[in-house]
Amino acid sequence: MGDVGIVLVGGRSSRMGAPKAGLEWHGSTLLRRTVGVLRRAVDGPVIIVRAPDQAVPETPDDVLIVDDDQEGLGPLQGLAVGLEAAAAHGEMAFVCSTDLPFLHPAYIRKVLACFDEDTDVVLPMVHGHRQPLAAGYRTALAPQVQRLLTEGARKPAMLFDVVRTRRLDEDALLSDPALAAADPGLRSVLNINDPDDYARARATAPPTVDVRCFGTLARSGGYDGHDGRPVAAATLEGAARAVGISLDQHVVAALNGDRITRDGHTPLMDGDRVSLLSADAGG
Amino acid sequence: MAGGSFGQALVIDLDVGGGDPLPLSDDVLRRYLGGVGLGTWLLHELSDPAADPLAPEAVLAFVFSPLVGTPLTTSAKFAVVARSPLTGMLTDALASSHFAIAGKLTGHDAIAIRGQCDHPSVLLIDGDGARLIDAGETWGMSAAAAEAHLSAQLGPGWRIASIGPAGEAQVRYATVSHDGRHAGRGGLGAVMGAKRLKAVAVKACTKVPSADPAAVLAAARDLRARSFGPATAKYRELGTLSNLLAFNAINTLPTNNFTTSTFADAPKLAAEELHDLRSVTRNSCASCAIGCEHIYATKDGGSARVEYENVFALGPLCGVSDPDAVLAASVRCDDLGIDTISAGGTIAWAMSCAEAGLLDAPWLRFGDGTALLRALDEIGSGTGIGPLLRQGSRRAAAELGGDAPSHAVHVKGLELPGYEPRTLHAMALGLAVNARGADHNRSGAYEADLSGELDRFDGGDAHVAAAIVTEDRAAVMDSMILCKFLRGVFDDPFEEWAGLLSGVTGWDLDGAELARTAERIVLAKRMFNLRAGWTPEDDWLPPRLVDNPLELSSGRVAELSSARLRAMVDAYHVARGLDPDGLPDPAAYADLQLTAPLPDPAPDPLPDPAPDPHLSPRPKVRS
Ligand code: SF4
Repeated sequence: MGDVGIVLVGGRSSRMGAPKAGLEWHGSTLLRRTVGVLRRAVDGPVIIVRAPDQAVPETPDDVLIVDDDQEGLGPLQGLAVGLEAAAAHGEMAFVCSTDLPFLHPAYIRKVLACFDEDTDVVLPMVHGHRQPLAAGYRTALAPQVQRLLTEGARKPAMLFDVVRTRRLDEDALLSDPALAAADPGLRSVLNINDPDDYARARATAPPTVDVRCFGTLARSGGYDGHDGRPVAAATLEGAARAVGISLDQHVVAALNGDRITRDGHTPLMDGDRVSLLSADAGG
Repeated sequence: MAGGSFGQALVIDLDVGGGDPLPLSDDVLRRYLGGVGLGTWLLHELSDPAADPLAPEAVLAFVFSPLVGTPLTTSAKFAVVARSPLTGMLTDALASSHFAIAGKLTGHDAIAIRGQCDHPSVLLIDGDGARLIDAGETWGMSAAAAEAHLSAQLGPGWRIASIGPAGEAQVRYATVSHDGRHAGRGGLGAVMGAKRLKAVAVKACTKVPSADPAAVLAAARDLRARSFGPATAKYRELGTLSNLLAFNAINTLPTNNFTTSTFADAPKLAAEELHDLRSVTRNSCASCAIGCEHIYATKDGGSARVEYENVFALGPLCGVSDPDAVLAASVRCDDLGIDTISAGGTIAWAMSCAEAGLLDAPWLRFGDGTALLRALDEIGSGTGIGPLLRQGSRRAAAELGGDAPSHAVHVKGLELPGYEPRTLHAMALGLAVNARGADHNRSGAYEADLSGELDRFDGGDAHVAAAIVTEDRAAVMDSMILCKFLRGVFDDPFEEWAGLLSGVTGWDLDGAELARTAERIVLAKRMFNLRAGWTPEDDWLPPRLVDNPLELSSGRVAELSSARLRAMVDAYHVARGLDPDGLPDPAAYADLQLTAPLPDPAPDPLPDPAPDPHLSPRPKVRS
């Protein structure tokens, strides 16, 4: 069993004035981006926890969506539902909200890598705050969280006092070379609360990625593709478009030599290497 | 009688020099189609699966197909089928071009050969029947030279399939070739060499109509047009070598005998590079509109036919990055008549052993192109380490002993093609379970891994299903026969293939029947192996690839655990309707229409001192 990703999309988004999950993000949505980042970082499934009948933007077919029937009980309730659903799929879960536009896979990997057998929660302490919605939880905690809820608890902080919580400060996080290189300012935990936050985040330049095309794609791209070409693109589709290729049924992509996908919404990060291949590879 | 076939095979006995027709019923032809399917049935009926593949009684079959001779693009192919001297299992290999058409138009759907010539000979088959002539000075020649010599000697219209010096010397991965194309895998050339048969020459003397010529012509026009589309662009524009750099980018290019999955010098061998640096000509098999063959100029003024598999096996697998050395090695393999994948795999094994101090060959090092060429020369001449390497990696490792088998990367004795199983879990299963051994042409499960539809690092039920689908499709394509490079143009393969076959044969086939045909052919192959000594342990991957993590360039670790592989293999057997001993339901066995009864389960394996248990005859007939 791998690690699981959990996104909590409930909450009223009252200061934003619109559901954060559906905010546009470089041709995609903020939720789609968050799900995509989790998919890049965990081996197991990604689970979305939503309010009953809450409309959520389109996500890949393999994303599990669970309903949180108890409205108004806050993030601890969403956490309980998410961990319970995740328990069948993995021992550890990275849990986050949907409003983290700069969340990086290296951050998630670092948090999950800090679990050991004496740890129930990995709680980052960044920019002077606890980050319970960008943290790691053991999925077996679900009954314990449920018990706290019945006792009237509403905030994740109440959980940290009663389970084995490992707090990670910025130095501890940045001791990881991959994270230090990818996200030295730990922008992974920056969230969006109002339209100004969103406008600032949206104005940030998209990441610069290196696109390489292979085989017939290198030729049809009209340049010597295997050397790679730096382009600014927030999604796979954007990267392909930037080199004149559309992700049709004859094209697949691999990120950093890893998973292969045709999902154009796959979020990209600075320094990613995007390989565009003929889908008819083999023979 | 169905259109597109003659309803008979020709069975040649080299001991007496003549041939007899063997009637093939419409029922058998419909059940097995032709090519690999019909060849498997013939091997069951005409041979003892436990007999030594290099003994006179072994049977070697050249098998044609219903589509051969039609205007359908890529249909000019034939299968060569025998018990493999490399694996001890069934091996079936395809080659292309005019031999297929002329061979079929001798009036036979297959030519099966048993016995042994008393001296090196050439078998001639035309309208005057079958006869042997002295091989003369062609014995010792490369297959290409022998073909040219015999063409000149015999005159126009003769088409020749020949072996090279390696086949004569019974190198266990020697090929049979025609017009530069090789029926490459499993040592069919050694079977022919053991019969002292240098070549088979055929000359057309009759015709065979399709059931509905107008429909076939219309289908041929349509297929030809589709064959110019994007699904075949890769094969037309750069050839299969375009895999190399792409596979390197996705950690799937086996390097230095499968110790890593990327090769730093891959660009030096890439089609994208070489195409611009060298003069390249394109060629195609007879009746093919795609023309995937890319022939590169070599340093000495010659030329080399370049494909992904030969460059992979003689390049990254041996750590060699000098394109001139790799092309020269490829030409040398062609001249000897040996399978490049098994040659490269066996040499890469030897390089591992030499570096580990297990083999006394200090000159043999990864990355050394000169050493690669020397090793090939020694295979050819039978000097130095040649006699050891001529046996293939499994037997050579057993002979060397100690830790040597742990360096041998094969399945059932067949060296792996250029697909890293730890990063392609559907393909890992396909390689493990396939009847021929580790092979990418009988299991195209890598397609699923590379599709983006499933997680290639997380093998499970979807991967099992994908491995079965691609194996079934290959079974039909290899039997009707169409080139697999055409596979991408079919949206609904079984239905569309049923339509093509119906037009030629007149059978009222549909996709569902063809799907059952695929399962039957796959089962028939497995049953041959069972009768030849297969045990469940044979459906597995070599130790280098299991429970041995591979670090990827992304930082992630790819691993194929034995538990995961066990689960996939078991699920595959269940889905194929096999019990834990590999035995099918009696009704499924009866559907194969074999004379031999359902075999008994293999006895529990005993400690076996013999280097290759598959070649110890093991009678296993249920009483
Ligand atoms: S695609 Fe290539 S291998 Fe297939 S028939 Fe055509 S030339 Fe031959």
